[in-house]
Amino acid sequence: MSRFFRSGESSSEDSSSEEEELYSEEEKDEEQQEDSDEDQSEEDDEEEEDAESSEEEKRGASKFLKDVDSSDSEDSDEEERGQVKSAKDKRYGELSQTIKAIENGSKIGDWNTVATEFDKLNRQVSKIKDSGSTPKIYIECISDLEAKVLEASEKQKVTPKKMNAQAARGFNTLKQRLKKNNKDYQDLITSYREDKLGFMESDEEEEPLPVKPRKIRFDTFEPAQPAADDDEGFETVDGKGRVVQFTPESIFKHLRAIMESRGKKNTDPFGQIKVMEKLNSVAVTPYQRIRVILTMVSARFDLSAGVSSAMPLEHWKAAEQELSTLLTVLEESKEYIVIENAEDWEDDDKPPTLGPNDKYIKIPGSIVSYVERLDDELTRSLQHIDPHTSEYIDRLQDEGSLYNIVFRGLLYYETLRKETSLEIPQDSLNRIVMRRLEHVYFKPAQVVNILEGNCWKRVPDSVDSLITPRESITEASDLISTLCNYLFNNSEGIIKARAMLCRNYFLALHDEYYLARDMMLMSHLQEQIAQFDVATQILYNRTLVQVGLCAFRKGLVYEAQNTLQEICGSGRQKELLAQGVQIQRYNQVTPEQERLERQRQLPFHMHINLELLECVYLTCSMLLEIPLLAQTGSSPDIKKRVISKTYRRMLEYHERQIFTGPPENTRDHVMQASKALAAGEWKKAIQFIHAIKIWDLMPQTDDIKAMLSKQIQEEGLRTYLFTYAPFYDTLAVETLGAMFELEPRKVSAVISKMISHEELAAALDQVTSTVIFRKGVELSRLQGLSLTLADKASSLIETNERTLEQRTQGSSNAFERQGGRGRGGGQRGGQRGGRGGARTGQRQAGGTTFTGGALGNAVRG
Amino acid sequence: MADVKKSVPIAGIQVESLVVMKIVKHCSSTFPSAATGCLVGMDQNGVLEVTNCFPFPSVEAGTDSHQNDAANTAASAPRAKSNLTYQNEMIRQLKEVNVDANNVGWYTSATMGNFVNMNFIENQYMYQKDNDKAITLVHDVSRSSQGALSLRAFQLTPLFMSTYKEGKFSTESLRSNKLTHKEIIKELPINLHSSHLITSFLHGLSGPPDVSEVDMPVSVEEIERNAPPVPLNPSIDGLELSIDPFLEKTCDLLLDSIESHYTELNNHQYYQRQLAREQTKISTWQTKRKSENAQRAAAKQPLLPEDEWQRLFKLPQEPSRLEGMLNATQVDQYSKQVDNFTASISAKMFAVRGTLLYE
Repeated sequence: MSRFFRSGESSSEDSSSEEEELYSEEEKDEEQQEDSDEDQSEEDDEEEEDAESSEEEKRGASKFLKDVDSSDSEDSDEEERGQVKSAKDKRYGELSQTIKAIENGSKIGDWNTVATEFDKLNRQVSKIKDSGSTPKIYIECISDLEAKVLEASEKQKVTPKKMNAQAARGFNTLKQRLKKNNKDYQDLITSYREDKLGFMESDEEEEPLPVKPRKIRFDTFEPAQPAADDDEGFETVDGKGRVVQFTPESIFKHLRAIMESRGKKNTDPFGQIKVMEKLNSVAVTPYQRIRVILTMVSARFDLSAGVSSAMPLEHWKAAEQELSTLLTVLEESKEYIVIENAEDWEDDDKPPTLGPNDKYIKIPGSIVSYVERLDDELTRSLQHIDPHTSEYIDRLQDEGSLYNIVFRGLLYYETLRKETSLEIPQDSLNRIVMRRLEHVYFKPAQVVNILEGNCWKRVPDSVDSLITPRESITEASDLISTLCNYLFNNSEGIIKARAMLCRNYFLALHDEYYLARDMMLMSHLQEQIAQFDVATQILYNRTLVQVGLCAFRKGLVYEAQNTLQEICGSGRQKELLAQGVQIQRYNQVTPEQERLERQRQLPFHMHINLELLECVYLTCSMLLEIPLLAQTGSSPDIKKRVISKTYRRMLEYHERQIFTGPPENTRDHVMQASKALAAGEWKKAIQFIHAIKIWDLMPQTDDIKAMLSKQIQEEGLRTYLFTYAPFYDTLAVETLGAMFELEPRKVSAVISKMISHEELAAALDQVTSTVIFRKGVELSRLQGLSLTLADKASSLIETNERTLEQRTQGSSNAFERQGGRGRGGGQRGGQRGGRGGARTGQRQAGGTTFTGGALGNAVRG
Repeated sequence: MADVKKSVPIAGIQVESLVVMKIVKHCSSTFPSAATGCLVGMDQNGVLEVTNCFPFPSVEAGTDSHQNDAANTAASAPRAKSNLTYQNEMIRQLKEVNVDANNVGWYTSATMGNFVNMNFIENQYMYQKDNDKAITLVHDVSRSSQGALSLRAFQLTPLFMSTYKEGKFSTESLRSNKLTHKEIIKELPINLHSSHLITSFLHGLSGPPDVSEVDMPVSVEEIERNAPPVPLNPSIDGLELSIDPFLEKTCDLLLDSIESHYTELNNHQYYQRQLAREQTKISTWQTKRKSENAQRAAAKQPLLPEDEWQRLFKLPQEPSRLEGMLNATQVDQYSKQVDNFTASISAKMFAVRGTLLYE
């Protein structure tokens, strides 16, 4: 019966012959297959479902034709088979070839090849299957392969010998795919195993016409096929041809049906959504609307079940719209509330009514989860879009409306919180506040202000927020601090830490270096950051980098270098800041890890410019390292002190080059500037540094450049003094000033600092304003060596004593005298170390690790 | 003669001045790479007389091989096969010209006393195992350049010889043999002996002029006719006051020794950790086996053997302590050297101060 409806409907659209239909479908299949092959196995499920659903849609049109074909005219079918046959034979040939390759591969254990061949095989088979039955040899092959894989994996467990990584990966993929694939052919495989010969011998020609297992599906319940909106005069029918009517009364019935089929296989989510859209249009009471929207939004989110694929754009937009409507509905009809801990209303026929004691009608659902999900989906889709296209910009504009939703969700939760009887967990509120914070913390104040302004415009004047009152919050910084303070007071653990980091990030972004640094130190996050999840660690790294950049903008070179050291010195900036996946050279990462890594990536608009970061880091390193290199000269014991290994390595590499062309990239610029600075040509160094284009990305480029010039002049002076002090007896401050174009006051300040840090053996004569160098204060080589020897010897003694203590189990009191001597040695060493430290002064004092040390020292210093 | 040889251990060494001159020449010509050669002579009543020597031909290292290799080949030259035949041949030929032709040991050059190493031990062992009176003469080129000639004679102690023969240098055997680093080598006193001819020649050398005032020669002819005797140049190297180079060098060497000591230490600690790990494994295995046996005994089943662990587990090999001991000996040498040096140098310093104060 129904087929007549169907065919009537589709005949207008599908004028093409069945043959064409078939081929186009095959091609589509093939494409799908290839797609899914490339993606990870988890996605496969979903992809296949997609493929199936799209196939279904098609089949919705074509199946009837086919059925008619098969039932009506036997001979025409025969004819067709005859036609197809030559192509079919060819395919069989290909198939047997592939099977051969698989067998060969599995014999020599080349699983990688087997996996690829297996994919090829499946593609070929799907082609054949569409035109006929599943080929026998295919069943034989997969069954054998399964046995072989099983055997191989057994063997793997026993023998300690590993496969090589590539083969192992191929093997695992193969295993998974095989498992999934063979499920479909389980019956055939079992029958094959039971009677191998019989199965193979049964004549292929006598195979019944293609029996499509999928056909069965249509007998089960299926929601209505999507009906085009414009087909006036047609009535919507469900899979069985019943006329489906959407009335306000039947809404709940439909919803229930949809809810029940949710998560099951072979449902058509798009169809369901269409149904719900219809339902939404007929819903009248707020209760109905709320219920429909809730279900619909969840269904939309279900569309992107995969981990790495984003949900389709139009659905995201629709979900966003619907959430907005939902919030409006909830605001309008205040007796209905959506909370997590509500009971499900079982009765479909009559809507719940207000009980005598109830103030609200509770509907189960979680606004905060929806908001979070919506946010995540946007992030995910942003991750997938090429950031240099206009598409990205378009997509980014949705963030405004998303922020609006977050904001309104927050307002909604605030109103719910007012009602203590509802027991809204603090956690939900925290979560939503956190989301809001995460949307603003990395943005400049002006942008945040605009964002906020738009939000407040959308809500009625009567509404006000408890956490962020409309009146008192006018500036972005106020907003951030209010949100953060709220979270500090009301949350625990990760959210608190994240709030702290967001705040510091914002402060650092807005040049509040000291505030950000102090907060960072007071939070004591450095010690515990390793215990947090990866996302928080990334945020920590981002904040750290931002604080470093802020210090640089302030001209605090030492602090900036120290702060950036940990991130930039590692050479894994990309990974640490989640701004790209590092190319793994030595250690293989599993696809699993790589996928996780990709998921963590930040969308482009949140990135910190890595080139700028590197530039800042290298420039800071240069300003610190060049004087240090000049200072240490050739003396052996201090030579080991290295501020930045990365920088040193680059410098060495640069010096090894025979020809150095004009600088091309940032690194070249800094390296050539370093060389010039080391040679005392500070003007050239300034030129090189100023030629770096990336400074333009910094706000107030000119200030930065001026600051850099000043720094280079000073460091140039220091370098000069370190290098040439041995050749002078006295040196006029005036001369130095003229040489480096610095004021005499500044020169004497620099010199005094060096003298007081015992970096320079000199005295400053203020009457004649000259520097008088002292001679012979350097340690002679013998002295240096003797000190080293003394150190080594005392440490040897200590080692011996420790061994003795271990042996005598702490009863080494008899050796008290020796112990005392040993300790004395230790103290001597300690004193020396202390002196060494003092000699090189405060600069060394912090050590090079950030973990608490660097900033801590800056505070003390 | 033979039984006399056996009975009397050598107490002193008498070295001909010719030998000394030859050694000094050979060693300083190859400096800084090591030089080795063979000593010939005979022993008489506990005194070993070294009457002649000849250098081993240094194997042409070639330009392609590394510097270290060259040093190594030179140091291990006495053991090289070609050199052994060369040595025998040489001795045979010396016999033909009627020179003392008994191989009594070998000599080597050294820098700042850094001669105690495996090469030294192996060479000396090779000589001493055949002839227990074989000795090594060590000529320290660097120290000799500071004034006094440094030529020392060494032998391996019998205790060490026997231990080395066994080849076991585990803690256990060292303890049972009471072998410490002090008992690896012993130094023998050296006596320089010059032939009468040389002595008389030395006496014939003119000393410094007797009178302080010498009449000015009247003319060139007079000088030519009556050339004043060239006085023997007095050695003033002994008054050298440069302390730094010597001590620096020693410091460097000491630091090296400490480094290698640490390496040895680490090796040994690694061994100990490994040992402890194995032992815990064994003990757990043993307890497990014991409890199993107890159960089996209760169930009246035959007991499982309890000494299987010897087959199942393999205890790690203890690293040889020889390197460490040699290192200690070497450090000992260095310290003695510094001691000697400072003793003489402080005397000189006092002398200098005395002169300065006097003026």
